[in-house]
Amino acid sequence: MRRLLATTFGLVLLGGCTTMDPAPRCDMGRISSQRDLVPGPAMVPGESSPLKEMPLNSVNITDEGILNKLYVRTITARRTATGTVEVIAQVVNCTDFPLNAEARTQFYDANPAPSEPVSAWKRIHLSPRTSNVYSEFSMGAQTVDGYMIEMRETK
Amino acid sequence: MRRLPSVLAVLASGLALAACQKVDNTAGAPTVYIDPGSSGPVKGVGIESQDIVGMTDQMLRDMLSQPRLANAATPPNVIIDAEYFYNESSSRLNKNSITDRLRVGLNRAAGGRMQFVGRHYADMVAKERDLKRQGTVDRATLPAAKAQKGGDFRLGGRITSLDSRDPKTGMMQRYNQIIFEMVDLESSEIVWSGIYEFAKAAQDDIIYR
Repeated sequence: MRRLLATTFGLVLLGGCTTMDPAPRCDMGRISSQRDLVPGPAMVPGESSPLKEMPLNSVNITDEGILNKLYVRTITARRTATGTVEVIAQVVNCTDFPLNAEARTQFYDANPAPSEPVSAWKRIHLSPRTSNVYSEFSMGAQTVDGYMIEMRETK
Repeated sequence: MRRLPSVLAVLASGLALAACQKVDNTAGAPTVYIDPGSSGPVKGVGIESQDIVGMTDQMLRDMLSQPRLANAATPPNVIIDAEYFYNESSSRLNKNSITDRLRVGLNRAAGGRMQFVGRHYADMVAKERDLKRQGTVDRATLPAAKAQKGGDFRLGGRITSLDSRDPKTGMMQRYNQIIFEMVDLESSEIVWSGIYEFAKAAQDDIIYR
C-alpha cells in the first residue's frame, strides 16, 4: 500500500513538471515516409500534413528559450478604416527578469495562402512581471482572412 | 501462424524506427549570407539592417491603415524620397536606404490606393519630354501629359540620437529616434506621423561605413 502511494505521488509530481515542446512540432517519421512518394519532404496532396500545423489566428512561440516564460493573454483582430487588419496580442512576462521578445505576422487569404509578405520582426520589451502589447497591420485589405503570429526571444 | 511472432517483431521494430526519427536539429552549412531582418554577427549601437527593415515595414503598414492616405476617393500623389529626410544623429548611414525601401514597399503594397511621384527622376523625365517636343525623338506610345505629376503629400522626417558612455567600462549606449511625417503640399498640414525608436548598449562600438 505504501509503495503504491509513493508511486502515485511520484506520478502526480511528474505530471506537475510537464513541459511543452515549442512550435513547430514536426512528425519526422511521417515526413520520412512521404519521401518515397515525392521528390522532397513536401506535403502529399490528399493526405494530412505530417507537420503538426501551427494554428491560424494565434500566437506561436517558436523559441524554446521563452516558451515557459511568456503567457499570451489575449489575441484580437480588427478591421481598420481602410479595411486592413490590425492584430493585437497582449503578452505577459511571467518571470522576475526583464525579457526582450520579438514577433512577426503572416497574413493569409481565405484559401489559406499567404496574402502578402511576412511582416518584419517587431520588438517587445517586457519588464519583470509586466505585460506589453504586440500589434501589427496588414498591407492588404479585403484579401486578408487569417493570420499567424510567430514569437521568439530577441538575440 | 508460425510466422506471426516474426511478423510482429518486424512490425514492432518498424514502428520503433519510425518513432526514433527526429528533426536533425543542428546548425546548417556556414554561409556569408545572413537575414537582413535579424541581428547579424557584427552588431553595435547604431542603426543596422534589421532596424531599417523593421522601421520601413512598420511605417508602410501604418500608412496603409490611414484613410486620408490609403482610402481617398481619388488616390493621392505621394512623393517619398530623402530630400526632406534629415540625419542629425551620430549614426553614419545613407538615408536613401530608408526612404527607398519605404517607397518601394509602399508602392508594391498600395495596389492603386496611392500614386507615387518619382520626383528624384524629374530631371530624367524633363529631358525626355524636351527631346520628344523638339522632334528629336518620336512621341513613343503613351499619350502626352500636360506636365509632370505634382505631389499631394511628401515625406519628411528626421533621425536623431543621444549618446552616453561609461568611461570606467567603455560601455556605450545610444538612443535612436526616427520620425516620419507626411506633409500636405498645399496647406503644410502634417496628415500622418510615425515614430520608430530604440536604445542599444554595447561594450565596444563598431565602425559603420
